[in-house]
Amino acid sequence: MQIICVSRGSFGYGNELAEKLAQKLGWDCIPRETLTDSATDQGIPVGKIESAVLKRHPITEGLAIQVEMMKAFISAQICERAMEKSVIYHGRTGHLVLPGISHVLRIRAIANDEERINMTLRRMPSLTREKARKYNDQVDEDRRRWVRTLYNVDWEDPSLYDITINSLNMTVENSASALVSVAQLPDFMETPASRQAVRDTLLASRCRLAIGRDDRTRDVSVTVKADHGNVAVTYLPRQAKQAAVIPEVLSRIEDIQSIVCTVATTNILYIQENFDPDAPSLEQVIQVAEKWNASVELIRLLEGVEAARVEARSPIVETSYRAANGGILDDTSTALSHEDDAEGVAETFDKLIQVGRANTVRTIAGGTQGLLSGLNRAEKNSLVVVGDVFLSRGASVQKRMRRDLISFLADHLKVPIISTEDLKSHYLFGPKQWLHMALYAVATIVVYLAVFNNQEAILEFLTKPGTGHRVLSAALVALFVPMTAWAYGSFTRYVLKLIKLE
Amino acid sequence: MADIEGNKNNMNEIFGNQFIELTWSIALQVTFLGFIGGMLSGFIGSGGAFFMTPGMMNLGVLGNVAVASNITHKFGKALIGSRKHAELGNVDKKLSIFMLITAAIGIRLAVWLMKLVSGGGDGHESGVGADLYISIVFVVVLSMVSLSMLKDILNTRKGNGSGPSTRIVDFLSKFNLHPIIHFQVADVKVSLWVVLICGLATGYLAGTIGVGGFIGVPAMIYVFGVSASVAAGSELFLAQFMGAFGALSYAFEGMVDIRLVLLLFSGSLFGIYIGAYGTKVVKEIIIRMVTAVIILLCVFSRIVNIPRYLQQLGYLDIDPAYNNYFDLASKILLYASGITGGALILIYVLKAYFQRRKIQTSLTTGVSSKQTGPIPESSV
Repeated sequence: MQIICVSRGSFGYGNELAEKLAQKLGWDCIPRETLTDSATDQGIPVGKIESAVLKRHPITEGLAIQVEMMKAFISAQICERAMEKSVIYHGRTGHLVLPGISHVLRIRAIANDEERINMTLRRMPSLTREKARKYNDQVDEDRRRWVRTLYNVDWEDPSLYDITINSLNMTVENSASALVSVAQLPDFMETPASRQAVRDTLLASRCRLAIGRDDRTRDVSVTVKADHGNVAVTYLPRQAKQAAVIPEVLSRIEDIQSIVCTVATTNILYIQENFDPDAPSLEQVIQVAEKWNASVELIRLLEGVEAARVEARSPIVETSYRAANGGILDDTSTALSHEDDAEGVAETFDKLIQVGRANTVRTIAGGTQGLLSGLNRAEKNSLVVVGDVFLSRGASVQKRMRRDLISFLADHLKVPIISTEDLKSHYLFGPKQWLHMALYAVATIVVYLAVFNNQEAILEFLTKPGTGHRVLSAALVALFVPMTAWAYGSFTRYVLKLIKLE
Repeated sequence: MADIEGNKNNMNEIFGNQFIELTWSIALQVTFLGFIGGMLSGFIGSGGAFFMTPGMMNLGVLGNVAVASNITHKFGKALIGSRKHAELGNVDKKLSIFMLITAAIGIRLAVWLMKLVSGGGDGHESGVGADLYISIVFVVVLSMVSLSMLKDILNTRKGNGSGPSTRIVDFLSKFNLHPIIHFQVADVKVSLWVVLICGLATGYLAGTIGVGGFIGVPAMIYVFGVSASVAAGSELFLAQFMGAFGALSYAFEGMVDIRLVLLLFSGSLFGIYIGAYGTKVVKEIIIRMVTAVIILLCVFSRIVNIPRYLQQLGYLDIDPAYNNYFDLASKILLYASGITGGALILIYVLKAYFQRRKIQTSLTTGVSSKQTGPIPESSV
């Protein structure tokens, strides 16, 4: 089934467009308000969240959990309906509610300023034209803040939309007619892989809602992901006791192949084409994950022939890594039937489970562009590690494309992107770091010895009268202090890095 | 530091009572103050000076020298911290620079007032005036901060609020004082006048009691509506300039004791990392509770010293013998607050640190993927 998500501004145009489009296509139309009303009925405090965001109140831990519940509720509702029938959803964050589903057509509907003012005046006749303009500006500001707070992206970022429709020169009728053609393009048709993505989004959302609705786990802050029925849950170390019952809570949910629960404060994305459990780069990723208390998500990036093969797979690919077993995975379940097994993905994932760093595994087809649309940009990751990709290319092309991929990701994701080669020098402790630490230690010791062995002379110099001398001593203090802080601060940073307290 | 003891007599002859005689014991205590202050600073996200400044004063350092040395230390510390925040995109330079304009004026005002109340900043008698002035500002400002924090915590616990009070934001949003400036990184629009007033207050308090961050960060969050991470990053960016300006101003007046600055560094630059680590493993409400209680104890520590200063200045007629008791009570309260807060943070940090190691050990050695059955609860 197909999905269209319309991101709309205030008053009229987006709603009208979505409804007209639904009418022309014969699809179901779901306005945001219907879903938020249902969410409120089910105990999710949507009004409180809106009030907190719009009034710039800080989002506390408790409210952040409710935000996740609201997002999960909306995703679940859309996905449930999209499993049965093609749907059109419209709301202020229409383009963001279903991340990672490639066949969603994301439309931005904008009306020109004058038209919006007229619409505002029709609804609120008591306003003057100038006040209506200010009102619209305020509404836009509120939406910007809403999107930034909830999804950490810019509302107006054009790369988040497939198409933008402006009401200036096109009527609603004509816009809808044009979009009917766009919706029928093969790019927005459901594929087995994208249908699986809908299933996974639905499953992850249901799991999130189940955790939030259970009295024992409602206060646990978790991230939930699903891939081919394999559910990965991460939670904070301090909530380990409450989170221990998560597998039991999720056991009632259908379609779960396995559950992995990992204690993690953050997440690392590890992108490769093939994974090798014995590769030194995996060891390094695990070391960084252990230091940061992070989980590791494996992303297998495919392109060309391999990508086409993945796309052509049956709708439900059997990728049961392990059966769910009290939050961990046992080794008695059936052997992996996924082709990834041959590529070492399963063994790599097993290794991550053994060291308690596993998150989930995903295969993303379509090279660089496919990766960007397959990743959830609102997701909070701390690091993206890019390993060997584009393996079908020649060595030079591979190198260049990989470099391009790193800079492309750096432009679009607000997290550090690093190659496996640079991982050690940037985040781990090696001979180079020992040398740096020693140099900073020596510099610090020299400074301290010099000062404390010559206290009298130094203080005399710093308090000597005379304007010229006062200026000189002030300038020297202003130079000396940051240099000492830098040397000693660098030394302490290396020491804490060494003992993995970062 | 080998000649510390030997320098005592010469020090007094040359500098009068301007600088403290540095013994090993005092040096270790200042380092400890730096460590606790740094840890609190990393844990709370700002401040630390509220503990270090009175702590040094309790060791016999003159108020103006304690403030001067602390603000100079803050300069270096903020330089390191803001570099890290800038890497994470948490610094709104435009906002910091706008605030800096009036913050610089605030610091100059603070230095001028300090010089005024200390009668030129030379000698112990005149230093008592500065001590009294610093203590009064300290008590007034930090009582308000800690009490409002405690009130917000109680409201949150009762379920009456989604977080700290935002009455100021709501109040200011009713006015539309032009020009309104848009700060892109922080993603807020604020009246220039509000920014300038907050900058002045931040600068004045940084220059007077060395706790600009305690005003700067809440002002950015509650008055401007900036997110907590951007507020902390932008305040540190601002603090490095305020620190530089404060350091230059106080160094020009000859009030900076560079030895104290180095000793504070030796503790704080370790402590700040440990405190920052603590924020990741401790519940938000506990962070706020610990912070409020520590500040309140520091406030009491200053309050009990005020009668001593008043007596020394001749405003209060009490037996000078009581001064030792006031001093002792002040020290006990201060150290109790610092040690309790520091110990709590350390316990949480070490617990999380070793729990993390235990989790890894259990999974790699105790449970392999070849075994069946659940992981022991202790290792989950």
